[in-house]
Amino acid sequence: MSLILSSAPHVRAKDNTQRLMLNVIISLLPCLIAGVYYFGFACLIPVCVSVVSAVAAEFCWQKLGHKKIRIYDLSAVVTGLLLGLIVPPSAPWWMMVIGSVFAIIVVKQLFGGIGDNFLNPALAARAVLLASWPALMTSGYNVGKFDAVTTPTPLLSSASLMDLLLGNVTGAIGETCKIAILLGFLYLLITKTIRWEIPVITLASAALLGWLLGTDPLTTVLSGGLLFGAVYMATDYVTTPMNSLARYLYAVGIGVIVVLIRKYGSYPEGVTYAILLMNIAATLFDRIPVQRIYGHTNAKKEGK
Amino acid sequence: MSEKKMNLGKVFMNGVITENPTFRLVLGTCPTLAVTTSAINGLGMGAAATFVLLGSNIVISALRKVIPDKVRIPSFIVVICMFVTIIQLVMQAYLPSLYESLGIFLPLIVVNCIILGRAEAFASKNPVVASAVDGVGMGLGFTLALTLIGCIRELAGNGSVFGINLLGTSYQPMLLMILPAGGFLVFGLLLGIINSLTNRKKEGAK
Amino acid sequence: MKATFRGGVHPAHHSKQPTRGLAIRDFVSDTVQIVMNMNIGAPSKPCVKKGDHVKIGQIIGEPVGGLGLPVHASVSGDVVAVDAIPYITGDMVQSVTIKNDFQEEWEELHPLGNVETVDPALILPAIKNAGICGMGGASFPTHVKLTIAPGKKCEYVLANGAECETHITCDDRLMQEHATRVVDGLRAVMRALDVKTGIIGIEDNKPEAIAAMEKAAQGRDGVRVQVMKTKYPQGGEKQLIKVLTGREVPSGGLPIDCGCVVVNVGTCAAIADAIIDGKPVIDRILTCTGAVRSPANLRVRIGTIAADVIGECGGYSTDPGKIFFGGAMTGLCIPNDSLPIAKSTNGVVVFTKEEAVSAEEDPCIRCGKCVDACPIGLNPYDMKISADIEKWDDCKKKHVMDCMLCGACAFICPARRWLTPSFKIAKQKITEIAKKEAAAK
Repeated sequence: MSLILSSAPHVRAKDNTQRLMLNVIISLLPCLIAGVYYFGFACLIPVCVSVVSAVAAEFCWQKLGHKKIRIYDLSAVVTGLLLGLIVPPSAPWWMMVIGSVFAIIVVKQLFGGIGDNFLNPALAARAVLLASWPALMTSGYNVGKFDAVTTPTPLLSSASLMDLLLGNVTGAIGETCKIAILLGFLYLLITKTIRWEIPVITLASAALLGWLLGTDPLTTVLSGGLLFGAVYMATDYVTTPMNSLARYLYAVGIGVIVVLIRKYGSYPEGVTYAILLMNIAATLFDRIPVQRIYGHTNAKKEGK
Repeated sequence: MSEKKMNLGKVFMNGVITENPTFRLVLGTCPTLAVTTSAINGLGMGAAATFVLLGSNIVISALRKVIPDKVRIPSFIVVICMFVTIIQLVMQAYLPSLYESLGIFLPLIVVNCIILGRAEAFASKNPVVASAVDGVGMGLGFTLALTLIGCIRELAGNGSVFGINLLGTSYQPMLLMILPAGGFLVFGLLLGIINSLTNRKKEGAK
Repeated sequence: MKATFRGGVHPAHHSKQPTRGLAIRDFVSDTVQIVMNMNIGAPSKPCVKKGDHVKIGQIIGEPVGGLGLPVHASVSGDVVAVDAIPYITGDMVQSVTIKNDFQEEWEELHPLGNVETVDPALILPAIKNAGICGMGGASFPTHVKLTIAPGKKCEYVLANGAECETHITCDDRLMQEHATRVVDGLRAVMRALDVKTGIIGIEDNKPEAIAAMEKAAQGRDGVRVQVMKTKYPQGGEKQLIKVLTGREVPSGGLPIDCGCVVVNVGTCAAIADAIIDGKPVIDRILTCTGAVRSPANLRVRIGTIAADVIGECGGYSTDPGKIFFGGAMTGLCIPNDSLPIAKSTNGVVVFTKEEAVSAEEDPCIRCGKCVDACPIGLNPYDMKISADIEKWDDCKKKHVMDCMLCGACAFICPARRWLTPSFKIAKQKITEIAKKEAAAK
């Protein structure tokens, strides 16, 4: 009889990294379907190119570097899918390849691979694309159902709240249909993939500050990429703080910066930069000793 | 260091490769990042710095026994200032467009760590000929590095190298590369590549 | 609102245990091998030799040192061997093997009578002489725990019936079938320490046990039952105290530092047996489950070989991959099934080959689940970073010494990181270093 000897615990929870990533992918499907509905099948091109090149980049990097192949943890798929959903529907394929490769190689692998990147790869790639090809990233929304419509940027359009909710507005592929995003959010909550605090606090703080500065809170929440960013980007495990209070501060920071950029910045939309800025600060937030350790205050009171 | 006869070839290659000021010593990063938006800017900056390095190394080396130790840094700076003023006036007269695009970074060569660093670390301790060779070597290393970064950034951000269009008109330039962020990116990536190559060589030698 | 604590996890294996509804069954094997180090402290010294005839309850190992406990024969019969065997800890341990003659001859017992009338001064010696140590797994000598240091005052005696570990149901059955004995034991401790309040904490997934204990506690001085939320590690001493009294054990301190004493319900029953019947610890209740044909709650003699326990449960249902004593969250693996059970062994769990494979460690994805799960409020991911590079000083600064090795963080980790094992090593190393430093001075 040969028995395995190991240290406790002998049982593990069902959710592993791969399962959590799969949950995120599943929760993104409604957004993708809504994107196809509004922008036509052509919008699948950037999404697919982005996913395939992200996975290929990760595979090549690990293969060439003689590292353990980790593409099966699906994190590269998530990165590719997220990037594909936050670009305009008519984004050219070569741009998506550059974006995905940048996200995987420069932002993720160069810093040590999964878990070690300090920026959200998809958002960092979007920022790079936005800085590199501003024209391509801010136009090209008018495809599919919006062939004939000519609206400038999604934020400036005077769409009704209902249109904003249903996604009957121009914008990035996955960001427009808020119902789909909420469905995905619900799925993530039910599967306990993410906690509700970060999205809700982000939205609430943005709405509150927006309202103080004279914007209708619902419009603040529903317009642009805020909802998508709050649900999928701000909750990215790797780039959020680990302690609960630090997470709340982080979420408030995102909400505040989004509104400030929208209101006073030169960009029409600030979600990308707001989240990236708070990503950088995430590890700093973790240094705040917020958590009370069992049995430690008593010792202090006794003056030990 | 001694007054012994040194291997001048080694001193020269030391500056170009082994102790490349940009990639190995990581000195003078401010102009490295700021002016390398095009290959010609990189080359111009490098040439200016090389001239100053050569001149200051020779003069400081010649005066190394006269300069009192306690005031050596101000003395070095004065010597360096002289050469920077010369190159600035020359450029302004004969290469006005390059002078314009280098802007404030040309006078800032005065405080470039490479130049003061070589004066302190090499010229003040070595004979004139060796110091001159060191100055040229270091300057060449700096020039090569800046030109390389400039080429990459110009190619990606503008589709051209030294103003000659290489990628055709259909190329959509990656604007990021000629923005400051692109400078950091290219510099960082090149540093990483060179470090990993050196490490591999070291491991191979073992 | 049911009382609970911060953090914790919900192991799914927890509620649907096949042994939950099974009554305790007696099992006496034909050989027992009794080891001499069943409790924390110096191992006892064997005082019988090969060929001796022993009766049940006869002392076969004499206590050594302040933490020592006597060891009693658990069956009657002839001693067939007194030798050293490798035990769970990896050390060689003296053991006495007795061949059972099934005559059930008892050594003369000295009952003290009713726990409510016995002289309180006699209770602690009786507990010591009965060889009682923590039956929930800790195996700390009970009489030492109940000896209150001067200057300290005990205000609460807490009976731990949480049984939050996976797989184990023996305390649940004990509370249902021997509720009065548990309350008697609790009362004995309360009288010995002159304490007015005794609380029995039980998780809400054991309604029958709660009902039985509530009935048994009726009319008993100062004893009450408190229902707690089902969550691991509800039965951790620190968590139990927090939930039942709202107090916290100071870091590095003992429960008595916040006026509490925690006694497992199994220990309570053993104390009652020792006082009412004068019976030493010769048997205990344990759960044998997992990949065995018919899982059961058994009352077995101390020293029963694991293979005999498994045989009594119908034998292996498939090739075993891993066997451990205790629950799946903190249980100790055994290298083969010929090891005997000790006083604190509350379960024998068999895993199949598939269940036994531990997943490979993936990179941390900083999900923060370990931070949320830690019942102490530590940052497991952070401690693990220091432990991986063997920076024991940093581990200490990150409060690894407050870690109680409950396994909640390692259980929940999606990257399957070996958090708890690392912390175990870190704690050992830090203790070693501290000892060396003390020795150097």
